Amino acid sequence: MLEKALQGSPKYWGWLAFLGLIIAAGGGVYMTQLQDGLQITGMNRDVSWGFYIAQFTYLVGVAASGVMVVLPYYFHHYKKYKKMVIMGEFMAIGAVVMCLGFIVVDIGQPQRMLNVMLHPTPNSILFWDMVVLNGYLFLNVIVGWMSLQSERTRIDPPKWLKYVIYTSIVWAFSIHTVTAFLYQGLPARHYWLTAILAARFLASAFCSGPAILLLVIMLVQKLTKFNPGEDAYKTLAKTITYAMCVNVFFFLLEVFTAAYSSIPGHMHSIAYLFVGSHGHTGMVPWMWSAAFMAILSLCLLIPPALRDNMKLLPWSLAILVAATWIDKGLGLLIGGFTPNMFEGVTEYWPTGKELMVSLAVYATGALVLTLLFKVATGIREETDNL
Amino acid sequence: MGRTLPIEDPLIRMQRDLKKAKAADPAKVRWIMVIDQAKCAGCQACTVACVAENKLPPGVVYRPVIDEELGTYPSVRRRFLPRPCMQCDNPPCVGVCPVHATTKNEQGVTVIDYNRCIGCRYCLSACPYGARTSDFGEWYTAKTADAPGVLVGKTGAAQGYEENPAAEYGKEWAARSRRDSPIGNARKCHFCLHRLAVGMLPACVTTCIGRATFFGDRNDPDALVRELLGSPRIHRLKEEMGTKPAVYYLG
Repeated sequence: MLEKALQGSPKYWGWLAFLGLIIAAGGGVYMTQLQDGLQITGMNRDVSWGFYIAQFTYLVGVAASGVMVVLPYYFHHYKKYKKMVIMGEFMAIGAVVMCLGFIVVDIGQPQRMLNVMLHPTPNSILFWDMVVLNGYLFLNVIVGWMSLQSERTRIDPPKWLKYVIYTSIVWAFSIHTVTAFLYQGLPARHYWLTAILAARFLASAFCSGPAILLLVIMLVQKLTKFNPGEDAYKTLAKTITYAMCVNVFFFLLEVFTAAYSSIPGHMHSIAYLFVGSHGHTGMVPWMWSAAFMAILSLCLLIPPALRDNMKLLPWSLAILVAATWIDKGLGLLIGGFTPNMFEGVTEYWPTGKELMVSLAVYATGALVLTLLFKVATGIREETDNL
Repeated sequence: MGRTLPIEDPLIRMQRDLKKAKAADPAKVRWIMVIDQAKCAGCQACTVACVAENKLPPGVVYRPVIDEELGTYPSVRRRFLPRPCMQCDNPPCVGVCPVHATTKNEQGVTVIDYNRCIGCRYCLSACPYGARTSDFGEWYTAKTADAPGVLVGKTGAAQGYEENPAAEYGKEWAARSRRDSPIGNARKCHFCLHRLAVGMLPACVTTCIGRATFFGDRNDPDALVRELLGSPRIHRLKEEMGTKPAVYYLG
């Protein structure tokens, strides 16, 4: 089936070359990071995880969110997702690849990475995160590939695949829960030390991930004859709307608990993010933009007339993605580390080099996604099933 | 002649305590530190002594002195909080390590195996005291101007100093060089285990001009630190975290 990825228009090859160029440029910057150490990033003594780990966290959510298409299709036999389901699985693969990439670029001694397997430590959540992420990658590769193969040959997939799919659905929830446990189990980071963090992660994942999926599918529909059907769009948009409502609600619960209890530790991170602290206000415009865009996206998604307007939908989804990305891809990490353990503030901002390496990891994910979608649409074209 | 000092210098007493502890069964020794904030002058000599002792690069510091300002003008005062690693009995940093590179040794000191640490910095996030830093590979001499003829060989000497491996943990580490440990590793205060091994007190203790830092074996009933633990001023940082620090403060 891979041969489908090798036949394409000049536009397709141009896109691949463009991604390759970004990967090469970012790879070059990464070489300087290997040579000089993490000093090329904006990370410091106080903010010791930065943009890389934040992107990792956001993308684990995107990976998990494929389940919002897979679950209705397999558990509730919602047939209208028939064409979309493979895209959900393939997007999960692309997202996990990026997650692993962001972990690799973040660690200080990548050549020793295999120590995680050579010296397994079941009491470390990071160890379990490695296990569930690789497991999820493996499950999705099997499921995606075998489903597509059966479509091509028009022979039903083996019976056992059904159980692999059921496992992958439960597994999807586990990857983001375990990733939240990375944070919420740490004793002195008040912004993270909250039982609702895993639930918040899932809620934000289940709105932002499918939103990204829909945007990508809209693009694919423009470029190929692929059409998942309008009903599929509308149903998934509904899922996204519910998840975003829950996501915003959960965040407001955090704000209430912190503000009404007035416990300084609980308030400080939120205060730093939204009003600044000791004159440091770097995050304030970002967080208010996120809040504004979150509300705006809900205003555009809750009324059915606006949500079902296919001209408006991509804009609403893009606004939602931007809002959730600022919340989780910037605010979560920076807010967790600021103020520091002794109420000092060291502001963090990613450096150009850090962003370049990140861009290369994103380009790698885009490359994987492009190849997989190309294969999927190629097979569908062949079987007249687009 | 008589005694030259009205009282015995605590360093002499601690040196004697150390000698006794070294003669005791190592499994029964539990190193602790007591820091008297009323005596700390905020000179940061301990921070510097530690940097020199462990050859720490820019950005890595094991024992900063945190400067706190209390009150509002005109009734203000400053208080200094030297902050080594707390060597917790129940350390949050040890459990989170995905490769078992950080452990507690027999005497309760949390140590790092630089050759195993992958540099994920999970332990940095887990520590409630910010006691761990990561070596991001910076060099003091990286941007030092070399002026041949004016400072003959001085930059070279400084570079050599930076590349010298520290004696940390009493092990023979490779010279600190690009891409090699301890660059990319988590680093932390280890109560100068390498000095204790040869009968010397930690560098921050001997260097303290105010004699504000005390060190010894908690399990020795006659040790100076044991006497200090009886003070009504004694407290530990963030006790509510359940970390059971081995560093005590006289507030």
